[in-house]
Amino acid sequence: MFDLISEIAQTLRNNKLRTALTGFAVAWGIFMLIVLLGMTRGVINSFNDGRMSQGANIISVWGGQTSMPYKGYKEGRSVELKEADLRTLEIENAGNVSAATSILYKTGVISTPKDYISTGYNGVYPSALEDRGLNLVAGRFINGRDLEMKRKVIVLTKKNSEVLFDDSTKVLGGRVICEGLSFNVVGIIDPEFGQDSYIPFTTAMMLDGNSGKVSRIDVNLKNVKTMEDGEEVEKDIRSTLARQHEFNPEDQSGVWVWNRFTQHLTMDTAMSILDMVIWLIGIFTMLSGIVGVSNIMFVSVRERTHEIGIRRAIGARPRNILVQILTESVAITALFGYIGIFFGILVTELLNRLFSESDFLKNPTIDISIAVKVTLVLIVAGCLAGLFPALKALKVKPVEALRDE
Amino acid sequence: MITLKDVNKTYPGVVPLHVLKGINLEIDKGELVSIMGASGSGKSTLLNILGILDNYDSGEYYLDGLLIRDLSENRSAELRNRMIGFVFQSFNLISYKNALENVALPLFYQGVSRKKRNKLAMEQLDRMGLADRSHHLPGELSGGQKQRVAIARALITNPSIILADEPTGALDSKTSHEVMNVFRSLNADTGMTIVIVTHDPGVGDQTNRVIRISDGRIVTPELII
Repeated sequence: MFDLISEIAQTLRNNKLRTALTGFAVAWGIFMLIVLLGMTRGVINSFNDGRMSQGANIISVWGGQTSMPYKGYKEGRSVELKEADLRTLEIENAGNVSAATSILYKTGVISTPKDYISTGYNGVYPSALEDRGLNLVAGRFINGRDLEMKRKVIVLTKKNSEVLFDDSTKVLGGRVICEGLSFNVVGIIDPEFGQDSYIPFTTAMMLDGNSGKVSRIDVNLKNVKTMEDGEEVEKDIRSTLARQHEFNPEDQSGVWVWNRFTQHLTMDTAMSILDMVIWLIGIFTMLSGIVGVSNIMFVSVRERTHEIGIRRAIGARPRNILVQILTESVAITALFGYIGIFFGILVTELLNRLFSESDFLKNPTIDISIAVKVTLVLIVAGCLAGLFPALKALKVKPVEALRDE
Repeated sequence: MITLKDVNKTYPGVVPLHVLKGINLEIDKGELVSIMGASGSGKSTLLNILGILDNYDSGEYYLDGLLIRDLSENRSAELRNRMIGFVFQSFNLISYKNALENVALPLFYQGVSRKKRNKLAMEQLDRMGLADRSHHLPGELSGGQKQRVAIARALITNPSIILADEPTGALDSKTSHEVMNVFRSLNADTGMTIVIVTHDPGVGDQTNRVIRISDGRIVTPELII
């Protein structure tokens, strides 16, 4: 093995310019592949961040307005979701619904002696922390006891807490005024999107005058795997609510439904297609480098016909020659490929620094599994590049090769 | 050592060229023989066949008791490596390898370890009086030195026979003489069988037997000088 390496090193050293030029083509191809992959990775990451932070197994429902007459009702009637719908949804769709929770959204003013903010606040269940990807940074979120006791506790965003309090250490346990009532701050969140505050759902109901209305219902799904499952559950939920609120189940605008599960699947497909396309583009870019290597190997074989003749005369088997040319080709591709990988990673890391604040490119770097894949591509490419020149070298008869000066 | 029975060789073409017309030849172990002939007489073709570099159309060729015919590329490469040492007119050293590496190359193809083959190559160079030139590239050596490196390379596998193709063709008369002396002493000291192809009568005179070939046929009665 060492002999083979030193043989290759010798021939490469003999053809410095040629090796360098070919190497550049390969390095460039790999460089482009890495940068492209890194960028897509970045775009995909930021997409994923946006959607993954909010649970993917949820169907959210808002009240809408009917667009068809039904059972004597005219169209244009508002549908208002009720807290009672939660139980109905859970019972009637027990096979696919693990839990239904509701959110009561209101807007108002939250104030402290220092300052005030006009904000939206959500009455929520404890599961909202995870479902909405709220990223708790201090204290705790709304819990079951809060709901039971209808406690007046509130979770603020970091930004709002900085407006309302001078001393960041006094936020937790501090008090704010909301709807004329004093709330205890129990937690601080730092969500990706939005600046809403959170209070227990039951407390919000109370503030709303116990009307039983809710702004939104989140249905957590179970046992759904495929696109069809997801669409089926959506239909079931729609018809349950249609029965409950007496509108036509076919009426799409009776309730507004956001099916994150099917959306998630669609996005997944889109992402994998994007990923595949980038690989294709990258590999085709690299192909031009590979053709260069192949070309160079042809020239090299031609130039060295006489040398190959000498080697054959003193006992080199065809296999020896084949292996030498193939390894040489793989060595060139691998060596310069790695230079390309190195600079590619350098650039993606640089982009990572530059765009660290941006929402569009999140961590545009490649991981070890891609590096391994790219290495495999390199070796296969090197072999292919060397194969045809090597086969050509084998066809040369020792006598003719010796005559070639 | 070498037995040829009615060996024929024709190069195909628009006008097929019948270069060897029934060669019969016997060379014994330990002989120093020259094959002489004008250019185009078929002597190079004969040498290529003897060296298993080329095949023949009909007849039989035995090398060291082994019938050389219809061999696979691998088998003939192996036989060339182990049984035959080549010395060429143009030396045929690999230009970017130093003398030691050139000499050691045949052992590389036998899979001998680097350390061992460098040691053996050094011994051969020493035997040729070139120990101090072992790390020189061929370009840095004189013609006679290059030919001695080539001889060292031919000897390293301890072959049954040395085949030399115009070994003095590119050398001046003084160096020619030196190289011939190397062959003569090799033959005398170790009993190595050596076949030299040449058109130079001066070289032929220094061998123990001259085989004359003309127009694809052996023409002289085989005289022992």
